[in-house]
Amino acid sequence: MAHTEWKDAPGLPDFSLLKRLARDQLIFLLEQLPGKKDLFIDADLMSPLDRIANVTILKFCLYTSSLKYTYFLFFFCRLCFLIRPRIQTVKWISDLVNADKVAGRFRRYKIIFTPQKFYACETVLEEQGVYGDVTTDEWNFYILPLDDDILSLELPEFFRDNFLEGDQRWVTTAGSALRLLQSVYGSFSKVYGIGRCAKMVYESWRELMEDGEQRTRQPEFAKVFLVDRDVDFVTPLCSQVVYEGLVDDLFRIKCGSVEFGPDVTSSDKSIKVMLNSQDKVFSEIRNEHFSNVFGFLSQKAKNLQTAYDKRRGMDIQQMKAFVADELKGLKQEHRLLSLHIGASESMMKKKTKQDFQELLKTEHSLLEGFEIRECITYIEEHINRQVSMIDSLRLLCLLSITENGLLSKDYRSLKAQYLQSYGIEHLLTFANLRQLGLLEEQQAGETLTVMESKVGKLVNDKTVGKLTDAFSSLAKKSNFRALSKRLALVPKSGEEYDLRVPRDMAYVFSGAYIPLSCKLIEQVLERDGWTGMEEVTRMLNGQEFAVTGGSSSSEARSKTDAQRIVLVMFLGGCTFSEISALRFLGKERGCRFIVVTTAITNSSRLLEALLDNSA
Amino acid sequence: MAGILYLMAFVLQKESQKADEYLREIKEQSLLSEAVRQCVEAAGHEHEPETQKTLLRRHFTYRRNDNTHWFTPSLSQLLSLNFPPEQFVSMCRDLRVLNAVRDYTVGIPLTHTQFKQMTVQVLIDRLVYRKLYPLAIEVCRYLKTPEYQGVSRVLKHWACYKVQQKEESDEVIAKAVSVKLADAAGISYSEIATKAYESGRTELAIKLLEFEPRSGEQVPLLLKMKKSPLALSKAIESGDTDLVYTVVMYLKNELNRGDFFMMLRNQPVALSLYKQFCKHQEQDTLKDLFNQDDDHEELGNFYVKASYKDQRLEARVALLQSAVDEYYKAKNDFSAKTTEDEMRLLRFQRKLEEEKGEQLVGFSLHDTMTTLLSVGLHKHAEQLYKDFRVPDKRFWWLKLKALAEKEDWEELEKFGKTKKSPIGYLPFVEVCIKHHNKYEAKKYVSKVTPEQKVKAHLAVGDMEGAAEAAIERRNESEISTVLSRCSATTDHLLMERLNRAKATAVKK
Repeated sequence: MAHTEWKDAPGLPDFSLLKRLARDQLIFLLEQLPGKKDLFIDADLMSPLDRIANVTILKFCLYTSSLKYTYFLFFFCRLCFLIRPRIQTVKWISDLVNADKVAGRFRRYKIIFTPQKFYACETVLEEQGVYGDVTTDEWNFYILPLDDDILSLELPEFFRDNFLEGDQRWVTTAGSALRLLQSVYGSFSKVYGIGRCAKMVYESWRELMEDGEQRTRQPEFAKVFLVDRDVDFVTPLCSQVVYEGLVDDLFRIKCGSVEFGPDVTSSDKSIKVMLNSQDKVFSEIRNEHFSNVFGFLSQKAKNLQTAYDKRRGMDIQQMKAFVADELKGLKQEHRLLSLHIGASESMMKKKTKQDFQELLKTEHSLLEGFEIRECITYIEEHINRQVSMIDSLRLLCLLSITENGLLSKDYRSLKAQYLQSYGIEHLLTFANLRQLGLLEEQQAGETLTVMESKVGKLVNDKTVGKLTDAFSSLAKKSNFRALSKRLALVPKSGEEYDLRVPRDMAYVFSGAYIPLSCKLIEQVLERDGWTGMEEVTRMLNGQEFAVTGGSSSSEARSKTDAQRIVLVMFLGGCTFSEISALRFLGKERGCRFIVVTTAITNSSRLLEALLDNSA
Repeated sequence: MAGILYLMAFVLQKESQKADEYLREIKEQSLLSEAVRQCVEAAGHEHEPETQKTLLRRHFTYRRNDNTHWFTPSLSQLLSLNFPPEQFVSMCRDLRVLNAVRDYTVGIPLTHTQFKQMTVQVLIDRLVYRKLYPLAIEVCRYLKTPEYQGVSRVLKHWACYKVQQKEESDEVIAKAVSVKLADAAGISYSEIATKAYESGRTELAIKLLEFEPRSGEQVPLLLKMKKSPLALSKAIESGDTDLVYTVVMYLKNELNRGDFFMMLRNQPVALSLYKQFCKHQEQDTLKDLFNQDDDHEELGNFYVKASYKDQRLEARVALLQSAVDEYYKAKNDFSAKTTEDEMRLLRFQRKLEEEKGEQLVGFSLHDTMTTLLSVGLHKHAEQLYKDFRVPDKRFWWLKLKALAEKEDWEELEKFGKTKKSPIGYLPFVEVCIKHHNKYEAKKYVSKVTPEQKVKAHLAVGDMEGAAEAAIERRNESEISTVLSRCSATTDHLLMERLNRAKATAVKK
């Protein structure tokens, strides 16, 4: 089964406009420092920059562009820094300026902050005594369109800064991004959201809206949904089994492109490939469960062969036409096909191994909540054998979230073993995880689940539900189990799930689990608000909202294309599995989802952000 | 010409036939429109309202003519076509405004030319300077000046004036201002508040700032007024981190350290921001902050982190010791114990490093043991295993892996016999296969528990054995597994047997 475009799909807005805007502003800013100059680009900005302004454009306005800012050789007396507003980078620049001063060199410095300038950075410049020597500017590059329906803020640090450090500096950035979308593509008729950060982003966006002038034009989106990453930690912690997600887990997709190593390309070079809807082969398999991909690819290969075979029995004229029209396309497809076959082969090698099957089995039983003892044993072995640092941590977190924290005994022993395996510095990692509620110890006297189950045996089902809610509101924990029951996240086991014909969003996790975030979006859009979901929102610690936007005129003309486009903004990152699930949901409901995220994430990125490597 | 028209107007008023003659005269010179225009303009330069009216009435003349059919239709059409009414309308408006300001109570005798020269904006400014706020507002409304430049601006000036009136109480003024300004767009309350503050009415200024919707405007003034706690909480309310930073940095320089910390303590958002800043800029301040909060847990973490930055072993151990103390104070026995273990491990690693010359310091316990085993220091590994209460399972996995890595099969066999393996014998089989030693692997197959027998047989590629084990256990799924591994050509007989067994297993 291939995900082909269904017939009456609403057209998506053209996001290349955003790229053009950003590029023009950058060129304008660079030209403000006249003459030839050295340009330093923050390492994190290289890939995004590559997507919007290729190097030729940069070369056009500069003499040289040094790629990493650890590069120390300067040619010109004008230096231009293009950086994220981070204290450390600014400090590095200040040191450089001061060193120049000591050496008596005179240069001109310009710092361009993107997407915006922070006061803290200016403070650093001031404290280091170089405030007067540099000029600063802002490059309002908020959104990078990664694909037709994926927009990214490219701020991986959003997650850690906002949820762990309690630093809300990026909130305004997210608000400005929404404002930008609104000013280019028209206003929204309805906004929903859940989570503390979502609320703050909405507030900041509204404030920006009030400040600026209103532009009334045909809106290109109907609804906006804001969701915090900490509403749903389970989904990003699961192993991804949809093709695009798997590619991300294994090879790490960076800014929409991936580098396939020699084992995939079956040559001694690695190849960088753009993965988006332009890639015909990829766009058909990206949302497929992995088990279907190979069959699909081989079918595709056969088709290709027949297309090539057409050559036989052609006369000269036909041959000429064939070479002129089709051959190039076929060649292109051929190349892509062989790449993806290579990639899936290498995945097969890694993923069909016993280990991976057992890993998935453990994850699924954690999600369903049975055979927990076996799971703990499995995790223990996983840690003891030092299989993988991140994977072990991931399983631990999954266990803790689904079980509302670990029993004291387990918590201590697992933690001790983990530290023995991977070193004591992870004491800090554990502190971080606890702060986020990812890995917790059940407090004595809070062993509610035990009590609950005992009480549950005595009274009938309905009261159990109420009791569960009462208890969980007391405990203020992740409540995954109760949530999963209420929202039917885990399909009943025992039923055969045909992955070729997915019947709900659970297919992105082999039919074992519907991503909580996506389920919430589905429910809210269906009900047009949060009514009837009070239980759920309470278990998610509330902070939900639904606001009807300013342009009431759009209500009148309801069933236009724009009304069927929904913008979903993930604050703190979203995974490819979630995107696939939303694409599926859109197809079912006859609407399209556009995903705006602070960054594309997956289990390893999420956890790596929480490690405390002081190196 | 305008003169003739003017004259005509008089005549017309008396409804005389002569008007027609006058008009024809003008028409012959085909200058009628010019004449009308001149009339309107002349009205503009006229100061006496009555004369203005007469002149302007010219405009209506032709309309009346139209009704009474004194003119030929073509003429009246010509008139209406050639003379659009806009000029007339705007002149009427201008004149009304001018007449109003020329009133003796106001006393701004402006000519129309002056008025056009200096624009409405300036006129409003002048009115504002004379504190004629109601009139100014009326003018704005009448001339339909955009609200932002018109009414709102006047209201702002009014409010600024109002707040300087010393005789009224803060409440009264604040209320009056808020009532008047409630639905005016684009009012900057902060400017009014600044005025209030400048005239020494801080309380009033604060009250007025409450109305300011943009926190970015409130905060700087609050800081100027030294109302820093309020500024801080306003900044935090706004959710704009940059604003919070502004306040925090200001306070840091303004207050002494103790007060500063105390203030931050009441504002967790600001505190976490400041901590973030300190992490990069001032490590020591961070420590002080934790110290003040008696946050021993964080202090412990702080020391642990610091210990990784230090290269010298002695310093590291000392820092870890501080961490241990803090963890104990935080009643976090677990972290304290682990940290103590780490100190022991560090010392042990150092000692061995000196004795044996192996690079060890900084490794995790697991990695240390792996290294020791791989270089054959089994005794020392054993010692760690005992000292640090390493779980049996882990040690067995470790040793198994290390020995297989070295392909020390003899030692492996000895190890396997020391006592009953806590991890079973399947790993033994698998590890041997991984290193392509089928012969060794087979040695352990018999020791594997019944549940894992099938797997073990399959691992060494013994189909017969696997089938045997599966059939014996009458386990359907295991039989299927074996079946799936059989190839139709070579294991034909075996498959038949398995299928039969499967059928019976299913029946049961």
